[in-house]
Amino acid sequence: MSVDYLLHESPVGYAVFKVIHQPDTIGNRLKEVQAAVQDLDKFGKTVELVGLSPFQGTQDALQEINDISEGIMSDFLRATLETNLPKAGKKKSIVLGVSEKNLAGSIRAAFPNLSCETGETNQVVADLLRGLRMHREKLVKKVQPGDMDRSILGLGHAYSRSKVKFNVNKHDNHII
Amino acid sequence: MLKTRSKVIVEAHRHAGVFVGRGKEDLLLTKNLTPGESVYGEKRISISNTATGVNGEDAPATTTEYRVWNPFRSKLAAAILGGVDDIYIKPGSKVLYLGAASGTSVSHVADIVGPEGTVYAVEFSHRSGRDLINMATHRTNVIPIVEDARHPLKYRMLLPMVDVIFADVAQPDQARIVGYNASQFLKVGGGVLISIKANCIDSTAAPEAVFAAEVQKLRELGIKPKEQLTLEPFERDHAIVAGIYQRSS
Repeated sequence: MSVDYLLHESPVGYAVFKVIHQPDTIGNRLKEVQAAVQDLDKFGKTVELVGLSPFQGTQDALQEINDISEGIMSDFLRATLETNLPKAGKKKSIVLGVSEKNLAGSIRAAFPNLSCETGETNQVVADLLRGLRMHREKLVKKVQPGDMDRSILGLGHAYSRSKVKFNVNKHDNHII
Repeated sequence: MLKTRSKVIVEAHRHAGVFVGRGKEDLLLTKNLTPGESVYGEKRISISNTATGVNGEDAPATTTEYRVWNPFRSKLAAAILGGVDDIYIKPGSKVLYLGAASGTSVSHVADIVGPEGTVYAVEFSHRSGRDLINMATHRTNVIPIVEDARHPLKYRMLLPMVDVIFADVAQPDQARIVGYNASQFLKVGGGVLISIKANCIDSTAAPEAVFAAEVQKLRELGIKPKEQLTLEPFERDHAIVAGIYQRSS
């Protein structure tokens, strides 16, 4: 089964990519195929950015990562998909590649004529999503170099602080 | 702070970013990313740089501070002293560190990768996670992730592709955990370092048999083992396995 679009959840926002060149399903365990995913020149011809919906600040991003980690589709993600995916006709349904199966389920429930493939069900999707993670700073041209890293730093702290039950300002004293 | 130990001479180790202090006894060191601060009460050594500036003028006196890395507390330090061939972690590397605990070893890895590199430190325990977050506030190249390493997709928004995975999770299914994380985040050709505690996998089997079985599991997950090293005399029945992620079969 071929995949038409891909969803990538980056720390700066949601990005939807169109697959313009369908990769082969046969031979994706070969060394050459794996090497092609790593090569930006080759991978850049496979996918094309349709749209990026940036998060509005840290609070927003924290809300989204909490939803994403639980496999919930937020309203913001719903709006992103509505604007960036074409309206599917009755005959042809669109296949969207998603990272995780719970999120895929949430998306499918909201978009009836959309089918989802995850990295677990489809090896091609897994490789494409790896490629997006690898080359996203080059593929998403709006993002300045270093923006991703800074967002990850802020978001990592915010997410982890919200997870920890204890008062994060207290220290344990190490005894050697 | 060791002020009186002026006799210590610091040499670069074979592994980039790691140093050796030659003194009364040899010490494993990393260059302190936050000079003036200890993370867990470890000792620090200051070395003054006496390089002469241009035109023969005296260059401003600078010091470099190193932190002592205890092999009894860090499996990676034990592996380095045991003579591991390649740690894959070097200045500028992006490292996914599974089982970060309080972040004591992580702080040394952060020293090695330096300001150009990043350590993504995953720890599930809340109490350890709190100390990890506190350590990371002073080191901006550490990303604390308080989450279960069994479910890497939960923290997928916080990770780029990484160069190395270091795992010290001490779980029976640790090979699967590492393989799953590698399939999501590790570059093809990236390094894998796994600390294996035989007791944690199977306490009834012989340690050698446990290590061999784990290595076989890694092979099936697309990780080509390169080296297996015991951590004696620092840890009992522990081994470090180093390998390369190939993904292709």
